[in-house]
Amino acid sequence: MHSRLRIGPFRPGFWRSPLRGPWLASILSAALLPLLAVCALTGFVSHWAYDTDLGANAVFGGPGPGNGFDLYGLDWPTSPSWLYAATQGLHVVTGIAAIPILLAKLWTVVPKLFEVPPVRSPAHALERLSLIFLVGGAIFVIGTGVINIQVWYPFGFGFVPAHYYGAIVMVAALALHVVLKLPVLRDALRRDGIRDRLHEDLAHTRPEPELPGRHTSAPHASSAPTLTRRALLGGVGVASAGLAAMTAGQVAGGPFADLALLAPRGRGRGPGPNDFPVNKTFAASGIERGQLGADWRLALQRDDRVVARLSRDELLGLPQTSAELPIACVEGWSTTQLWTGVRLRDLARLIGVAPGGAMEARSMQSGGGFRRATLNPGQVEHPDSLLALSVNGAELSLDHGYPARVIGPALPGVHCTKWVGKLVFS
Amino acid sequence: MARFRAAYGAGPLHLLGVVICLAVVGYALSTGLSLTGRPERWLIWFGGGIVAHDFLLLPFYSLLGLFAVAALAPGARRTRTGIAALNHLRFPALLSGLLLLVWYPLILGPGERTFSRVSGLSKDVYLERWLILTASLFALSAVVLLIRLPRLRRIDDHGGR
Repeated sequence: MHSRLRIGPFRPGFWRSPLRGPWLASILSAALLPLLAVCALTGFVSHWAYDTDLGANAVFGGPGPGNGFDLYGLDWPTSPSWLYAATQGLHVVTGIAAIPILLAKLWTVVPKLFEVPPVRSPAHALERLSLIFLVGGAIFVIGTGVINIQVWYPFGFGFVPAHYYGAIVMVAALALHVVLKLPVLRDALRRDGIRDRLHEDLAHTRPEPELPGRHTSAPHASSAPTLTRRALLGGVGVASAGLAAMTAGQVAGGPFADLALLAPRGRGRGPGPNDFPVNKTFAASGIERGQLGADWRLALQRDDRVVARLSRDELLGLPQTSAELPIACVEGWSTTQLWTGVRLRDLARLIGVAPGGAMEARSMQSGGGFRRATLNPGQVEHPDSLLALSVNGAELSLDHGYPARVIGPALPGVHCTKWVGKLVFS
Repeated sequence: MARFRAAYGAGPLHLLGVVICLAVVGYALSTGLSLTGRPERWLIWFGGGIVAHDFLLLPFYSLLGLFAVAALAPGARRTRTGIAALNHLRFPALLSGLLLLVWYPLILGPGERTFSRVSGLSKDVYLERWLILTASLFALSAVVLLIRLPRLRRIDDHGGR
């Protein structure tokens, strides 16, 4: 009936590797699932960290359904100060570490892409449809993420909403896949165990038998093995751990930073106090140098009225506080520095604003995303939340936000507004 | 119930799960698309990802693998030495290829202008670093193969395993 389809990759004996089969697929899935789960969870946590219900923080350009899930109703916390560095570092590291395992998994199950008959029943057809969203979703989300952290934007659509809603597509398809395939994983591991197959040498590496009553990727006819399953899984594990270590170097810093050979922001520009990495340079800000000269004033606004304008010298005359805080980028890199400046809450009290309100920081930038950010009341009141004027004992450089920038514990990097022109308290 | 199973091919819970899944997928795609517009770009990046992997990347590295097998460990005259040589080539090649796949925007430099503008850094160092990593992987693999070689030769000569 389907004989005209039985050519090329559709032919039963086409896929000849003796290693493919439900056991190998199950082991790879068991490694992949936790990574994808942590990656997805930390991704949604990052959306929470943006406090999108405040001010203009909504990253998708407006209130309503376009704002993503706003189920949390909780302000993003300020403790521990490395919280965002950790969650966003985990997001990027787990996503990248998943790549070799995902590729190995797709290699293992590719014969099923060409299974004959292509559709056995309505249930099978629907399941295959969901696999399009699983495989397409995983490649889409991981691909856009990996390209985005390399500061290349060839997408033609806004990265943030596409990455976010693409992730929901992947998670929905993955949840269904896990539920439907759990019995296969159970049967395969019950049949073979885990360790026995890992002890097989080349002479004992044989094709997996079919699981009774199931259609699997085990070969119909196979070549002699050139690789053990142990070596294949070991190679995948080394690749995954290696990629993770090289990416973690730009989160953990210290001796690990030297491992970040191919990570985009794994290097500073020298040993100076201002030489740590930046997300956006002054040159890319669109601000004229003259706007930040002696005439620069920090405007403090209460409700709708500017009630004070302070020069940099006047700010330096206020009580100064130092805090060692990480600044953590959504791209998954972070760097901890010693910041010094005026507490945000001191500035609020200065113009008679009581605790409990939010604060919007506005940059001197006239365009571009994230030129203003609203901090929640907990962030405003935290003793380590500063309008920083210097870093590591030196005046802030232009690239790091001179004359003044916001910094606070666990605050996402894009909310640490640079080149601040105005603080609006409410 | 038996009639449902026969007609549908699985139990009703399967159908329920699929419907929930597809409903969430439909919600996410329509919301995402309404925010970004440009559905053709989604199709390129979503469908293109599947096509690029299933019909380009996987066939490409599988064919390279077949050539390597034919050259180093052909089925008719397969020795342990030949198999080891094959694998000591396969592993560094796959690792190097993986690094290129993940970091090619850094290594090959598309988006260089935006990258240097916003980060103040250049992408120049990455091609060199990838080449050095690749050379190191192949060199390390070759050293390990050299260490294993005498034992593999003995196995081949004595017809043992």
